[in-house]
Amino acid sequence: MLEVRNLSVRADGKDILNGINLSIHRGEVHAIMGPNGSGKSTLAQVLAGREGYEITDGEVAYEGENLFDLDPEERAQAGIFLAFQYPVEIPGVSNLYFLRAALNAIRKTKGQDPMDAIDFLELAKKKMANLEMDSTMIERSVNAGFSGGEKKRNEIFQMSILEPKLAILDETDSGLDIDALKLVSHGVNKLRDPDRAMVVVTHYQRLLNYIVPDFVHVLAGGHIVKSGDKNLALELEEKGYGWIEEAEPTK
Amino acid sequence: MLKDRSLGEPDWLSECRRDAMVNFEELGFPTQHDEDWKYTNLTAVSTKEHVIAEVPNQKLAIDDINSVGFEEVDAHQVIFLNGRLIPELSCLEESSLEVGNLLNGQNNHLVLEHFAKQTDTVGNSLAALNTAFFGDGIFIHVPDRVIEKKPIHLVFVTIAEQVDQFTHPRTLLIAGQDSQATVIESFVGMGEEPYWTNTVTEIVAAENARIQHYKLQQEHVKAHHTGFLFVDQARNSNVTSHSLSFGGRLVRSDAHVRLGGEGCECTLNGLYAVMGDQHVDHHTTIEHAQPHCKSNQLYRGVLDGRSKGVFNGKIIVRQDAQQTDAVQSNKNLLLSRKAEINTKPQLEIDANDVRCTHGATIGQIDEEAVFYLRSRGIQSEEARSLLTYAFVADILENLQVDGWHEPLEEMLFDWVQQAQVE
Ligand SMILES: Nc1ncnc2c1ncn2[C@@H]1O[C@H](COP(=O)(O)OP(=O)(O)OP(=O)(O)O)[C@@H](O)[C@H]1O
Ligand SMILES: [Mg+2]
Repeated sequence: MLEVRNLSVRADGKDILNGINLSIHRGEVHAIMGPNGSGKSTLAQVLAGREGYEITDGEVAYEGENLFDLDPEERAQAGIFLAFQYPVEIPGVSNLYFLRAALNAIRKTKGQDPMDAIDFLELAKKKMANLEMDSTMIERSVNAGFSGGEKKRNEIFQMSILEPKLAILDETDSGLDIDALKLVSHGVNKLRDPDRAMVVVTHYQRLLNYIVPDFVHVLAGGHIVKSGDKNLALELEEKGYGWIEEAEPTK
Repeated sequence: MLKDRSLGEPDWLSECRRDAMVNFEELGFPTQHDEDWKYTNLTAVSTKEHVIAEVPNQKLAIDDINSVGFEEVDAHQVIFLNGRLIPELSCLEESSLEVGNLLNGQNNHLVLEHFAKQTDTVGNSLAALNTAFFGDGIFIHVPDRVIEKKPIHLVFVTIAEQVDQFTHPRTLLIAGQDSQATVIESFVGMGEEPYWTNTVTEIVAAENARIQHYKLQQEHVKAHHTGFLFVDQARNSNVTSHSLSFGGRLVRSDAHVRLGGEGCECTLNGLYAVMGDQHVDHHTTIEHAQPHCKSNQLYRGVLDGRSKGVFNGKIIVRQDAQQTDAVQSNKNLLLSRKAEINTKPQLEIDANDVRCTHGATIGQIDEEAVFYLRSRGIQSEEARSLLTYAFVADILENLQVDGWHEPLEEMLFDWVQQAQVE
């Protein structure tokens, strides 16, 4: 589904990613771990199409297409979803309006009719209840004045509405208390599907108890320095990153 | 340049006009040497020989009136055309208000008591010019304890058939004790030629009166518009005035508010959306003269093309005005690199126990937000217009006129689309 080959990325004259290789298939969950500043969010943002990064080398194919040929909205329409590490506040635009516009943009590319406001509201309320979100949040401006945890939940709520094919979750667990973590994990697990792939960026093995990954990758200094199964996360938790950082990039 | 208007008028009026004319001649047109006119160049107005607008050849039908929400808002309507009241298009019968033409003010002691009292004191030459030249003006009295639910909508239409004509709309609103009323003043222009509207509105709010005032400015794009609002508030009164400014080539809108009794509350809100070569300038002055008064100002602007905006908000707190609570905010969104805004708060505080806050921002569209919206599948242009719209539509939340919200939203939405294709 997603083939990242030798991806190198620079921003503001600084090399951030230095030859990333990653192969993600349908139904798989990949966890990406790594120290602060290692380039995890950069990878996530580049995949979502954020501007301001220079692709200096490599390529990314998504469902056989060159990902870089697609605008961010085209990627979303093609099924890519990024849950932001720092969701943006948008005062004046209601969650309701925003999310229905997003859903209908995606439905349109699938050749489906737009969903009307009443059906959408019903769907939204159901999904919010699953995440134990206060239903008044749908009327509020996107993320404006939301607590850190509420913002993260809102990301997962959006994901559950948009039902992407490839979901990239950038530190969705940060800032969540244990109850919220369980709810969010539950929300993510509900979307696990043989047709859907997920990339979960996290610092904490704790999350991976709930969302059990098929693969774990360690990103350091812009390389993937080690890949393994879920036990790698446990090992990291025990030994810290120092143990691994000197290692050679995996090819 | 100006011929005498006062011939054949009652004494009180010709006296007012004469004094005003002397006043104007002493002061002259404001120039950019005046601190208050630093960013607004009036030479396009002052160097022209303006003539008092004549009644146009074109007939005005009610359906021609295109101010936003004119149809949708259920109101007592009073229509002026080129400075003249059009009784056939106006209806005021069933209201509990006392309404009249200012030209017949000698019949009403309230007019004699309040007319031009506020304009006289501030050394405002254009307000004086208005006094000297206004045609039909309107006087509205909301008697004590009367609560008028239906808004009064004054529409000032200009049909500019000749070049450089001017009109001087004039409104005097007197709100009695414990009274309530809503007044909308709309300015619209048609025709091809440049013209100048120079308007004055005086509001006197007695104890515990509650007044909502709205000014909707949609002059023709070649028009000059200068407008002055004066508000005098007595104890515990509450006055809100919104300035919604979209039209005109060169626009100046001032508000002078005097909080002259304890416990007054005043809100001034503004929204300006300009593009092309438009220039829009808001100057506000709120004078806290007595303790325990509250004032609130929220102005938002969105500027596209080569347009220019000015906001200057002055808050004066007199020595006695302890426990003053004054808040001011001006936020601007620049959609083009050539658009410009000058924004400045001005505080003169002589009391020590006060809370005054002010803030001004000038920004572009938040690219982070654009990316966020796009990352969810929303087209780039749609994301931009959504964000622009969200920025301005905020102000509409404060409007309390039934039926007006939707047409204004639509109009703003269209404005945003138009700004984008430019
Ligand atoms: N636009 C940019 N311009 C310059 N430097 C950038 C830019 N974006 C990211 N960086 C730098 O690249 C490095 C990687 O950042 P990134 O946010 O991808 O790290 P991360 O692995 O997500 O870290 P964390 O765990 O703290 O979230 C950091 O040193 C960061 O400062
Ligand atoms: Mg990060």
